[in-house]
Amino acid sequence: MMSEHTAKAFDIDLQEIARKVTEMGGLAEKEIGDAVDALAKRDTALAQRVMAVDLSTDQLQREIEEKAILTIARRQPMAVDLRDIVAALRLANDLERIGDLAKNIAKRVVALNGDFPPQKLIRGVEHLAELVLEQLKDVLDAYAQRDLDKAIVVWRGDDKIDAMYTSVFRELLTYMMEDPRNITFCTHLLFCAKNIERMGDHATNIAETVYYMVEGRALADERPKGDTTNIAPVPMRM
Amino acid sequence: MSTVASMTTPTVTHAPVDTAGLAEKVSIRNLDFLYGESRALKGITLPLYKNKVTAFIGPSGCGKSTLLRVLNRMYDLYPNQRAEGQVLFDGEDILSPKQDLNLLRARIGMVFQKPTPFPMTIYENIAFGLRLYERLSRAELDEKVEQALARSALWDEVKDKLNANGLSLSGGQQQRLCIARTVALSPEVILFDEPCSALDPISTAKIEELIDELKADYTIVIVTHNMQQAARVSDFTAFMYLGELVEFDTTTKMFTTPGDRRTQDYITGRFG
Repeated sequence: MMSEHTAKAFDIDLQEIARKVTEMGGLAEKEIGDAVDALAKRDTALAQRVMAVDLSTDQLQREIEEKAILTIARRQPMAVDLRDIVAALRLANDLERIGDLAKNIAKRVVALNGDFPPQKLIRGVEHLAELVLEQLKDVLDAYAQRDLDKAIVVWRGDDKIDAMYTSVFRELLTYMMEDPRNITFCTHLLFCAKNIERMGDHATNIAETVYYMVEGRALADERPKGDTTNIAPVPMRM
Repeated sequence: MSTVASMTTPTVTHAPVDTAGLAEKVSIRNLDFLYGESRALKGITLPLYKNKVTAFIGPSGCGKSTLLRVLNRMYDLYPNQRAEGQVLFDGEDILSPKQDLNLLRARIGMVFQKPTPFPMTIYENIAFGLRLYERLSRAELDEKVEQALARSALWDEVKDKLNANGLSLSGGQQQRLCIARTVALSPEVILFDEPCSALDPISTAKIEELIDELKADYTIVIVTHNMQQAARVSDFTAFMYLGELVEFDTTTKMFTTPGDRRTQDYITGRFG
């Protein structure tokens, strides 16, 4: 662990910022879990609660920003301290976006209201969410423990999510082509899947931030890319 | 020259500084400094690059001011103080007993912590030194005084009161007057020993701005306790501790990702 600052209050400021980021991470995880649960169980009440939780996530982001700016102004942090604060700002941003994406899923649960797709299709989305939650949990651990190896594992793990998303995309597309009446809920489901895939990208961002925070330089390699839906050919009907 | 290239101190983190296109104006090599029996500098090896600003940082008593004082042989004024090693100034060892000290101090000027104008007019503060080195006509002298004051960003503020006493100026103006006095002699290197520690933030900003302009013509060394100032004004930074050079690198590297743990602890305020 890092030795302490001569000015103890500086340590307290930094700890406070890191604590808020961790708290925000916990909320974001809960939002994802609950949103996908709401989708699977057709639970609109739970979906409403997710939307309410998202307000706290936004509030925490504002608090982290304020505290970070105040600390920069007051302490003029250098090197590792400055990177800690910049990392907290970036994490807060990514986590806020993750919260928004979860909220969007919750909104769709409310919008679907009764018109629910078969469980088989939802299972694919659920599985995607499990993968993302695992990534998010690992990367938040990496942040808390300043664990470079763990961050790199998360960073390399995003292609699994992308591949999974591509397969969900194909499945939904096929389903829509089978019967145009499926299009409405499949489109919602596709957006949910895309939202979750985006959350995975934010987890990858966080992994990069953790690496930068610890090492002081950017992760240099090409980011792994497994989402091929933007280049995948659309299956043609005969 | 190549024989001395290997004379590096083992304690120093020698990062691969990109020195392409840089000329070493001063090369400090294996320098030791003694106050009587006590060794204040231990095996310092350090380049000072031409037209660059090099900052010396470190806690009180680390030897940074001592190192600065060696560069113009200031210590010669005191008994029982001596330097060992080499300080090559354009390849010539300034520690050599044959060194002409007056000439050396004209070529390596110094600006001190507290402004030290002479108790004479603003004009005379600058003309005084010039007359010691050159025989000039009144018109030439006028021109040189104006040039020096303009170069130090003071001319506009004092041009209408050149006959006022130098001590009547504000602290920040006095410090710029001292810089003008140094600049007037056309030195090659200017040493700044905590030049802003007695100044308010606006005067400090003016001096920093000035240092940035001066480096086009001079090689500059600055000792400062203000880490943000070192980060702002310098191109290279040397961190010293207990008489040793701990780390020397580009300022960007030193203040973002220092190589040595002690440097990091110092610049982030974790020392001791």
